[in-house]
Order: sequence, then structure tokens, then C-alpha cells
Amino acid sequence: MTNSLDVFLQSPTTNDFPNLERTPSSYNPLQTYDLAKGNDKHYQQQYADMYFTRLAMLKKPVEQVAAEAWDDFKIAGETAKKVDRVLAVRQGQLCWIVGTVYMEMPLKPNVLDDISKEHWIAAPPPRAKFTSPNGQDQIMLEDESGRIRLTGSFLPMQLLVTGCIVAVLGTENRDGEFDVVDLKVPDLPAQPERWGRHHSQVQGGKNNQQNGTPQAGKMAIVSGLGINGDEGDTLCVDLLLEYLLGEAAGPESQVAAANISRLLVAGNSISHGTPIPSREDVAAKKKKYGYDPTAYNAAPTERLDVLLATLLPSLPITLLPGLTDPANVSLPQQPLHPALFPHCRAYSLIPGESSQDPGWFDTATNPWQGDVDGWRVLASGGQTVDDVFKYVEGEDRIEMMESMLRWRLVAPTAPDTLWSYPFQLKDAFIISECPHVYIVGNQPKFDTAVIEGPDGQRVRLIAVPKFRDTGELILLDMENLGVEVVKFDLFQKT
Amino acid sequence: MDKFTDYLAVNVFNEQRVVSYRALSRALKVHSNLAKQMLYDFHQKQNARKASSVHATYLITGTRNPQQPAQTNGVHSQDEDSLMQSDTFMSSSAPEPDAGTGEESIPVKSIILAKEEDLEEVKNQFENITSIHIYSLEPGTINDLQILTDCNREISTKYADEDPLQTWRQYGTIQNANVKRRSMRRPPPAAAPIVPVAAPKDTIEAAEQRTAKRPPSPRMKDIGPKKKDEGKEKSPETVAPPKPGPIVSSKPETTRKFVPPKKETSDLFKSFAKAKPKKQASASSAPQTPLTEDEPMAEAEEEEQEEDFRIKISTKEEREAKAKAKKDREEQLRKMMEDEDEEMADAPPAETTAQEDEVEESKPIDRPVSRDSAADKEATVTVSGGRRRGRRRVMKKKQMKDEDGYLVTKEEPAWESFSEDEPEVKKAKPLAVNSSAAKGKKGKAGQGNIMNFFAKK
Repeated sequence: MTNSLDVFLQSPTTNDFPNLERTPSSYNPLQTYDLAKGNDKHYQQQYADMYFTRLAMLKKPVEQVAAEAWDDFKIAGETAKKVDRVLAVRQGQLCWIVGTVYMEMPLKPNVLDDISKEHWIAAPPPRAKFTSPNGQDQIMLEDESGRIRLTGSFLPMQLLVTGCIVAVLGTENRDGEFDVVDLKVPDLPAQPERWGRHHSQVQGGKNNQQNGTPQAGKMAIVSGLGINGDEGDTLCVDLLLEYLLGEAAGPESQVAAANISRLLVAGNSISHGTPIPSREDVAAKKKKYGYDPTAYNAAPTERLDVLLATLLPSLPITLLPGLTDPANVSLPQQPLHPALFPHCRAYSLIPGESSQDPGWFDTATNPWQGDVDGWRVLASGGQTVDDVFKYVEGEDRIEMMESMLRWRLVAPTAPDTLWSYPFQLKDAFIISECPHVYIVGNQPKFDTAVIEGPDGQRVRLIAVPKFRDTGELILLDMENLGVEVVKFDLFQKT
Repeated sequence: MDKFTDYLAVNVFNEQRVVSYRALSRALKVHSNLAKQMLYDFHQKQNARKASSVHATYLITGTRNPQQPAQTNGVHSQDEDSLMQSDTFMSSSAPEPDAGTGEESIPVKSIILAKEEDLEEVKNQFENITSIHIYSLEPGTINDLQILTDCNREISTKYADEDPLQTWRQYGTIQNANVKRRSMRRPPPAAAPIVPVAAPKDTIEAAEQRTAKRPPSPRMKDIGPKKKDEGKEKSPETVAPPKPGPIVSSKPETTRKFVPPKKETSDLFKSFAKAKPKKQASASSAPQTPLTEDEPMAEAEEEEQEEDFRIKISTKEEREAKAKAKKDREEQLRKMMEDEDEEMADAPPAETTAQEDEVEESKPIDRPVSRDSAADKEATVTVSGGRRRGRRRVMKKKQMKDEDGYLVTKEEPAWESFSEDEPEVKKAKPLAVNSSAAKGKKGKAGQGNIMNFFAKK
């Protein structure tokens, strides 16, 4: 038992407690996922454009990777050749092709089924996975010309979902299926240097007062606060608040808390805020047509507002919406409206006003990317990984996150099974620059890893658990990208 | 140093409340760390005097034993299950190298809140404890720790008007020099977007005038019953005039000639009210509340909240205009008060009103109609920003026993204030005046309309 342990277990002392100053945070968000406002946002486009542009943009890098690997690949004296179009593959010829993966799964929801079938009975609850156990799933590869079915013993070892762009090596067999021997993905894109954008801006004369790169603190990451209207289950959130403010716990923790320079809230701050009620919500609700004003409960948003407003005087916050937040449901989710935060508004930018400095309270998109303390951070509310999870066997979220980065896609399954804005000229979900930190919120449990790319890229992956379930706050050291966990809990016997 | 003992004794023992270190630090304006020590001191001393008179909860920080399974339950019981599930999944079905958790050990710090009876058990679960402090004190053991949330909820409402950037330093909150906040603060949503600006202003002045004579009462509660007693002596409608809110916009008959100038001033005020300095409002809003009796408190609150974002501009012109308007208003107010006092004096004797009635009754038979229209005309309405406020003259039915012991029902003109909440009364329904005593006198009125016979009494 150290001395510091007993510091608060004694009678009031006259000595002054130090006032702590918080480590500043360098913050420079990117507007990668901002959609056009108002009338410039259209929904008439076909989703096919997304796949078309995605393939067009990612074909080149995949071809490079594949060409390097398979240029002098020989089986029985036959050299692998590149075939430009999927339909141009000839039977028995060793070749490689590039295309978009499409997963044909009987259990996958299909919008055409929804339209053509009349449902007289209640639909079954949503499935945890689309995979069917008896091998009815088919993997296809398609490009502008057509589709070819992939097969082979190599495939089940690979993590594949609809929408990812891959190159496959093999031959077409007698059944007209493509027997895959090897498979390549685009892999990690080029990674900017730390402080890269910052320095270019400094040289550009935009940001003169900050030449040096200050010693960075830590970024606190939390997701799934899950504030609902019910009272009496938010004490852990209170403890989190007090910890971040540096009021709770002992002097050591307070000093540690002062080193936290930013809070990132990765989605699902409110548990029932989505404008489209879930199946359970609909079932629970009694039939009533139209909008029912009595059903509206302002308490969760008010409480979230007060919570964040209490933190803001001390801590800058980046707030991402999530699946259950009152934002639009299709990706990219746009920032939560400032009207939801009457108390926090004073800390955010005036809407519609462009400013050089980002807001102290930054309501961001989901997914979102930006530079925090020089590092490129890519964060998402978790729907993307949750949807990939349904396509593949296994539970390893980190592996899925890694795959998504290597596919260079933030939301590979959009627009197939993930709601998405119909991008037309470009697929915004393509990762053009490799982040240093990839954060995904609302995962079942905390996990982290560092992955490396072919050109020496290093990415810290963090799966952030739901705070409501686990009480875990993740601290990311912004100097060495080390991770630690602070777990809040109540000790109660049942 | 005994201040905190008093505070804790009052709140924990007398009021049976839960006091957290944060609540204590806010209440006494001390550093939260000092508040933790205060709680400890109080807990020790009181329990030394009388065992287990105060119950405490502790916040323990440190690292837990890795092998010790988390025994915490309660809220997270469900979640523990799901966690377990995913753990087993991990071990059974995931052959992939668990890169992250495998190669580097992630430090996990635990912050656990526990009741004092569980303290030792929790301590045993920890491998290393960095700090323990009392989180809260309460009069007895608590079943559900969640009720501690109320402390923070109370803090967020009670000290909402404190500027966190200025006052939080004393509580030991981590300061941030880089905080960016817009200078123009928006009001919290509770403030109605459109507030009748003129009315509250007058309220304040009226309040000031009155409070000069009356000793200020500290609590609204205290004054409530007293006012009621006063009101009882007079007729019910005499209580209404002191309502400060609507005075501006409405006038009794006697002051009707003032209507045009008054409207002007109120309009003037509407346009200048934004320039009103904050100090005045906060100074006078307190004495204002006792007077408002049954006037909704919300109005006072709205007023205060609106102050927050008023732009403080006062050019010379405006000041002059204001001063003039104020003078006018004061005079009118005074006059009105006098008039109303007279009216009040008149009201109780039955004869005078009866005579009045008779005078009016000498008019043609369509009397009710004309009266109605008069009543409508007399209703003065201020429409400010879409909100309708004002007073109107209505006929009120009044029942009383006369000397012979008969019940007499009379109609008397009375002023009542109304707002947009109520629908505008199109016609004050002429009420039948029939009682045995009044029959002879008022027979004419009774015969006027046969429907009166069926009218609801």
C-alpha cells in the first residue's frame, strides 16, 4: 500500500491540489465522406455505377500485385497469361483475371425476393450469418462482360465478400467454373507520413504558428454508450465522465487523464435513435399509423447532450454517428445535426460556415477520416465490419478489419447488403491512402493488432467494444500508437 | 472546516440524501480531491460516534488479478454472457493467430465502484491498487448503485448556469487552454423561441415598485398561502389584477383612454427589450416570483434564459426612449392600480352592481348581444411574435346569499387574462340570472330569451 493510496483516506488537508492542464490535440479532419447538401444530393442513380467505378479504380493496383506475383508462374510448362475479360477465359488455359467478387448465398437477403414474394407471415428474425452450412453458397467473379463461378479447394481459406476486387489465377474446368489456384487483393495503399499533411500545410503558409510537432497525448475512444430513456443504468457513463474530467480516482489517474487530448465517440451513443425502427421495435409497438408524438422520448438525446457538454470545456470531442443514432441510415452517415445538442452547439462550428479550424465539438461522418496528432485515422461506427461478419465464417473482427484494409474498401458489402448512398462518379468507400490507425466501433469485444503492408505500412487496428456492455474505454497513445484499456465497473452482488 | 460537516449532516442525516464527492465539491466550491477527504472524515467521525450511521461507496482504481474472473454483475450480467460466448468462440473456432492480444499485452486498468461492505472482497480481486476513495455517502445501505446517478444529474441541472470555463478550475477539473467556444451562446432549448418581451419587462418594474413596500419573501412557498388568504377577503376577481404579466396589454374600462399610448410603449419596448442589461433582470427576477402567485413560473424562467443571449447594445437614443417609456409606464401603472383599487372597493356591495345592471337593463331587449360585443371590444390583445396575450372582460356568474337567506346569482363584469393556450372566447355566454330574490328585479332579463331557461347552471 503506497502513500498515494491513502491520500484520500484521511482528514481534509490544507495542501493545495494541483490544477491539471490537458495535453493539446492536433486535429485536422478530412471531408472524405461528406455528401453534397440539399438539392445536390440525388438518389436517382443506379447502384451499378458504384461497382463499375470501384472496379475501374481498383483494377490497376490489383493487376500490379498480380502481375508481380504471377508473371513467371508456370504449371506443367504453361505460363499464366492475363485475360482481360472474364468471359474471354478459355477452357483449360492457365490464366488470371480481375473482377468483383459476388457471393450468391441463399440466406442472404435479396431485394428482388422482397418485391416478388408476398409475405403473409412475419419474416424470420434477421440472421447472424448469411453462410449456409451445406455448401450452397457460390462465389462468383464478375466484370463488365459477365460472371464466372469460382471454385477450388483454395477458396474456403479465403475471406471473401461481395464487392471486393480480386485477381484470381487458375483454369476453367469442364463445368465452366474457374478453378482457383491463387488469389490476390489490392493490399494496403500508400501510407502518408506522419505529420505529412500538417507539414505541407505549414509550408503552404497556412499554419504558421505551429512549426514543431508537439508531444502528443492520448486519444480516448469509446463506442456504444447506448444511452436510452430508461433511468438507472448509466452510472458507468458517469464514472467515465468523471474519469475523463480528472475528478475521479487518485492523483495518478488524474494525471493520466490529463494526458488524454481527445475523445472519439465511434457510434451508437444513443440506443434507440435511428429513424427506422428495428424489427423488435416494430413488434413491440402497438399498431398505430403515422407518427406517434407520444412515443417520442427526448431524454436520451438530452442526456447525451448534457454528458458531452460537461466534457467539452475540458476535452475536444469527435462524434461519429452509428447504426442506432438519429442520423441517416445509409452510409456514409452524415454528421448528427447540431440541433440535437443545444448545450454542445456553442463548441461546434456555425453550420454552413466554412472555417479553417475544425470545431472543438466535431460531429463527423461515419465512416470518417482525419489527421489526429499527425496520424491518419480512419474510424467507423461498426456497421461495415458487422456486415462483413455475416458473409464469412469465424468471429475474428480484427481479421475482417485487416481484410477490408487490404481490399482497400471501407464498406465492401455496400451497396449489396449495406445501405449506401448511390455514388456515381467515384466510389467514396475506396481507401486511397492507408491510415495509421483504423478504428471500428461497436464490436462485441475489444481487440487490437498491428498489421504491416508490402511497402512497410504499419496500421494499428482497434476493435472498440460497446461501452454499455463492457464498460471499456480505449486509450490510444498518440506517440507510439500503444493501446490500453480502462474498464469501468460496478461491484454488485446478485 | 466544519462547514462540510454541517452540510453533510443536513443532507445525509436530515434530508436522507446521497452525497457524492462531486456534489460536495460543487456545493462547497472546493477541489474534488478535498471533497473526497471531507467525505472520509465525516464517515470516520460519524461512524466512530455511532456505528454504521453513515454508509459509503468506494471507487477503487488499479489492475485486477488476471486469473480472477470478473465477478461483477448487476447491470452487465447479460453482457457477461455474451462476452463468455465470444470467448469460447475464439478458442474453439478461430484458429487464426490472435495477433494483437497475443504478442503484446494490453494494460487494463479497472475502476470499480463498490459498497463499503464489499470493499474487502473487491480489494482482493486487485493485483495492484493505485487509489481508493469514497465516492459517496448515504444514510443507509443502498440496493442499487445506479441511484448514484442522481447526484450527477442534479449537478448538471443545479449548476447549469455556471460557466464551466471559469468555475470548474476550483473543482479540480482538468483545464484546457485551447477550448474554442462561440462567444454568442445560444439559449437552451427550454426557452420558447418566441417570448413576449414586453410583458416580463413590466412585470419587473411592477415588482420593483411593490417590493419597495413589501419585505421580500425568500420563498415562494411561504408567500403562497398568505396571498390566498388575502385573496379570500376580496372577491375572486380582485385577486386577478395584481397579476403582473398581462397588465401592460390590458386595461380596465376606466383607463381605456390610455390604450393607444400604451400600445405604443409596449411596441417600443418590444423593439428595445433586447437591449436590456442582464443585471436588472437577475436582480429583479427574484422578488418577482413571490408576486406572481398563480402566474406560471415558466415566464420568469423564460425571461432569464433569454437574457443569456441578449446583445448588450444601448445607444443613447435607445436609452432615452427607454427612460421615457419607463416613465410613461410607471405613471400608467400607478393610475391603473388606483383605478383598480377603487373597483375593488366597489365590488363587494351587491347593490351597486345591481344598480349598474339596472341601468344597463333599461336598454333594448337585445342587451346580451350588445354586451357581448362590448366585452369583445374590451378584450385587449397584444400579439407579439405570434403569441397572443391579453386580458378580456367577461361576465362572471356569482352566487351569494342575501339578507333573506336566498341565493342570489349575479353577473358581474370581471377581467381575466388569457393567452394563446386558451381558445379565444367568441361570445361570453349570457348567463341566466334567475333566483327567487332577483326575479322581480331582473324578470326582464329572464324573459329575454327562452333559451335561458334551458341554459346550464
